[in-house]
Amino acid sequence: MKLPLSWLKDYVEWNVTPEQLVEKLMWRGFEVASVETQMQEISGVVVGRIASLRRHENSDHLLVCAVDVGKGEPVQIVTGAPNVFEGALVPAALDGAKLAGGMSIKPTVMRGVQSLGMLCSGQELGLTEADYPGAGIHGILILEGERTPGQDIRQALGMDDVVFNIELTPNRADCQSVVGMCREAAAALGQTFREPAIKRVKGAGSAADYARVSVLNSELCPRYCARVVTDLNIAPSPAWMQKRLRAVGMRPINNIVDITNYVLVEYGHPMHAFDLACVKDGHIVVRNAHENEVVTTLDGKERPVSPETLLIADPEKGVGIAGVMGGLNSEITENTKATLFESAVFKGSNIRATTRSLRHTTDAAARFMKGVEPVNAMLALERAVELVDQLGAGKVVGDTIDVCAADTSERVVEADAAHINRILNTKIPAKDMADMLGSINIEAKAEGDTLVIRVPHYRVDIESGVEADWDIAEEVARIYGYYNIAPKLMEGSTFSGRVGEAFRDEDKLKDALAAQGLYEMYNYNFTGPAALEALRIPEGDEKRLAVKLLNPFGEDQSLMRTTLLPGMLDALARNLSRKTGHAAFFEIGNCHFDNNPDLPEERKLLGILLAGEGEDFFTLKGLIEEVCSRFYMEIEVAPGGGEYFQPGRKGVIHAGGEAVGELGALHPAVRKAWEIDCPAYYAELNVGELLPHKGATPTYKALPKFPKVARDIAIVVDESVTAKEARDVIEKARLKVVLDDISLFDVYRGQGIPAGKKSMAWSFTLRAEDHTLADEEIQTAVATLVRALQARLKAELRG
Amino acid sequence: MYDKLNEIREETLRRLNEAGDEKELEALGVSVLGRSGALTEILRGMGKLEKDERAKFGQTANLVKKELEDAISLRREKIAAAMQEKRFALEALDVTEPGVRKRPMGRLHPMTQTYRTIRDALVGMGFTTFDGPEVEYDEYNFTKLNLPKDHPARDMQDTFYVSERVVLRTHTSPCEARALLALEPPFRLVIPGRVFRVDEADASHSPVFMQMEGLVIDRNISLADLKGTIDAFVHAVFGEEVKTRFRPSYFPFTEPSAEVDISCTMCGGCGCRVCKGTGWLEIMGCGITNPHELENCGLDPREWSAFAFGLGVDRVASLRYGITHNRLQYENDARFLGQF
Repeated sequence: MKLPLSWLKDYVEWNVTPEQLVEKLMWRGFEVASVETQMQEISGVVVGRIASLRRHENSDHLLVCAVDVGKGEPVQIVTGAPNVFEGALVPAALDGAKLAGGMSIKPTVMRGVQSLGMLCSGQELGLTEADYPGAGIHGILILEGERTPGQDIRQALGMDDVVFNIELTPNRADCQSVVGMCREAAAALGQTFREPAIKRVKGAGSAADYARVSVLNSELCPRYCARVVTDLNIAPSPAWMQKRLRAVGMRPINNIVDITNYVLVEYGHPMHAFDLACVKDGHIVVRNAHENEVVTTLDGKERPVSPETLLIADPEKGVGIAGVMGGLNSEITENTKATLFESAVFKGSNIRATTRSLRHTTDAAARFMKGVEPVNAMLALERAVELVDQLGAGKVVGDTIDVCAADTSERVVEADAAHINRILNTKIPAKDMADMLGSINIEAKAEGDTLVIRVPHYRVDIESGVEADWDIAEEVARIYGYYNIAPKLMEGSTFSGRVGEAFRDEDKLKDALAAQGLYEMYNYNFTGPAALEALRIPEGDEKRLAVKLLNPFGEDQSLMRTTLLPGMLDALARNLSRKTGHAAFFEIGNCHFDNNPDLPEERKLLGILLAGEGEDFFTLKGLIEEVCSRFYMEIEVAPGGGEYFQPGRKGVIHAGGEAVGELGALHPAVRKAWEIDCPAYYAELNVGELLPHKGATPTYKALPKFPKVARDIAIVVDESVTAKEARDVIEKARLKVVLDDISLFDVYRGQGIPAGKKSMAWSFTLRAEDHTLADEEIQTAVATLVRALQARLKAELRG
Repeated sequence: MYDKLNEIREETLRRLNEAGDEKELEALGVSVLGRSGALTEILRGMGKLEKDERAKFGQTANLVKKELEDAISLRREKIAAAMQEKRFALEALDVTEPGVRKRPMGRLHPMTQTYRTIRDALVGMGFTTFDGPEVEYDEYNFTKLNLPKDHPARDMQDTFYVSERVVLRTHTSPCEARALLALEPPFRLVIPGRVFRVDEADASHSPVFMQMEGLVIDRNISLADLKGTIDAFVHAVFGEEVKTRFRPSYFPFTEPSAEVDISCTMCGGCGCRVCKGTGWLEIMGCGITNPHELENCGLDPREWSAFAFGLGVDRVASLRYGITHNRLQYENDARFLGQF
């Protein structure tokens, strides 16, 4: 909320600097986001009166003005704006003046004519149309009314206030008002709050002769207060009121509208004024909207309303949407003779639903949503008619209409001072607590350790019942000062903290991936249907079961990702186009699958993406093998895998016989969609399925005591024979010696090898546990291996 | 003969010093001590001498022989040392040339590194890790935490909705409700995780970010315990010299509530661009757990008391590494990631 210093001074003795107030409010739980001095940048600009003007002799668009700036002799100023005229009052920036944006003014010569300053537009003074009428137009700002030449422009415009921008927490709706905030400010400054006294205007006659109110839904409208004003004299509101409204960013309109706005700012309660002549029979009916009802609101828009929406109506038609906006048909115009001031309480949740269904919200609606309170509704109404009377804006009619279903009686709650001291770890006597509460106008009495508290009507945040202890503890703590509560280390139960197994494994997995040279990515969880389409994911695939957001930023961010690939591809493409020099990444993150009536299934996935020189299917596979070895785990890859891979270059990753992921070369169409020119390789593993296959902590195996000998053999086999098949044969061959270090070190096709065949070169080592191998043993073992390969794979030994 | 012996000795010692390499030295050795060497010749001619004389000369000659052998061996070592020195000089490197990085390390994201630092500090204080789902029931995200439907404070966190009753969690706090319902108090938990808010990305906001929550429940937990715990934790993560400041604030799930500021890690509290001249940085929200939350989770707030705090890992990472724009953390530019 915006709190102008000039307004604060009405209620608080001001004897500090703005900075001191900011600090004191901070310790009370009120954060001042900024302190603005209006027109702070502007200096050296005064009111000038154009005494005379003439055309510039060397220009057809410049004017030479003699400007009276209150110094006797007029100063000569050249201007290019055509809207000045003799006698006009204008802002005149003199030598050394500073304007908006840091511009400074010096005397100059314009086409041979001296100009001792500059006449200013609203924009050059940093003003908008909302600040002052005419400030938004292109041309010199023409001031209204009588002004004294030479007066500082900030004073002349009433724009010399200091405004505190306070960020309120939602529990303190009562401080969304000058009165409420001043109450806290006074307490923070150790002052007495000068409680505003509203002089109730008795008025003549009876409101009942003009209007009546029926509330058909008192749950949604617990209180409806109204007063009638006749013989309206619609006119601009006085300067002091306009100045304050401008200071809080409101645009003055006319005395009646300004009064409702003024009271909104001062008391925090939204009000509305209806043209009584437009309300049939003067009968206000507060009811739910009918099916297919439409209300045309003040802004001229036709708004269809649903039966959940609360309307202000007369017996025939809606005249406003309760708590949101008045109707165009009952708007105050200059012809309005009599008005009904409404000050009502509408249920916040209903107003929230209304703004949601209308897709439109207003300042008034925002107040109702934050919560308003029935006693204040009446205070605000009485304040409004007091202002009507004071401003001579009309004749106030006697009697207040009050349809009230709300409980407005005073609440008394009890709090346990001993418990409060336990919550805060303090030793504050109950009596002192009562005094502290008194300082913020909460009347409290200490009866032993019990605080008996009369809760002011506006402190709806203080609950009755056992929760009062915490509410009062908070009040006591912020008055006592959080800084006065000494920190201590926890006592009582002892704990040994732990990083859970899943967290530890994830750490280890990430470390292993980084050790392989990968950079870790964090991408957003959002993706869109187009990305899934570009990934060639078929209809019906589980990756199409993406969780949809009801309120996404846009179509392309409307789904929760079901694969890490789209985000990683976006980032890879960025890295390639920016030539960052690195194209090996991983990400571990959750993906969600809408395959469950309750919460979607959440899977923690690992994505690995490699591109560029030196990378291929097998560098990716080897990387995964290496990382898995860190967990004493072996993987196997079988042909298969999703549609975003290139056919023939993709595989399903198995651990412990279970499919845990896929890897492959990305399909050229996918790369094209992301404008990636080089081959790229991707693997995605389900961390939750992979890690359960991790091996147990290994048991030490004795080191070999006798030497091993290395041998290799090259065999020619059919293309269809896989490396895994060959390896299985070698591993399972029944040998009398120990076979280790089996490795496929070359696969060759071409010259010397028949078409449809390939050569595989395998190396391995042989040894025995208890002796050094003899030549014959080695020859026998190799021969056995070769025979097995010949028998099982129709392999031929290569020359 | 003695003269001859002496002559050989002196001649040999002289030539020894002239021998420049192993080969010359070898030749010299052979010419004196070899089978037809000068000294060998003399010893061979000794037979002509009288018995007494022979013994005496023999003794002297053997001494000379020994002396020369030693001298040759010494010289050999010297030459070898000199040769090695020469070779070393030839093999000397410009050690300022760059190292050859055969297996360059990858990098963990700054958020991961920061998360671990925070987590480990808390684990050292007796906290244990806890986890919960990112797509969460409204019930846990709001209602159980004293944020019933239409509570004005729901507006504090703009929520992504999946359905009437399912949301993307707006904070890690739903895990508080899950833990309070599932575990037997007392306990201390640290809960890291991704959270989501309808915030357009800018320098300090992101629709997706990482939060960490701390929750302590025990008997007689006070605001003083909360302050002491956060002080200790801040010192562990940011350094002993960093000061804290607790300002009254409001959260629906805590009461009393506080915002915690730390003295600016960039300027030390003098005021700079990062702290916008205030000397302080807002780092987390915290408070005594609201009795409604405990009641909603089946605990008696008179018997059990708790405190909780939550902080943004992205923000802490930004402060720790001086990252000026939050977007960098989700752009995954390798030139950025490679710095950490």
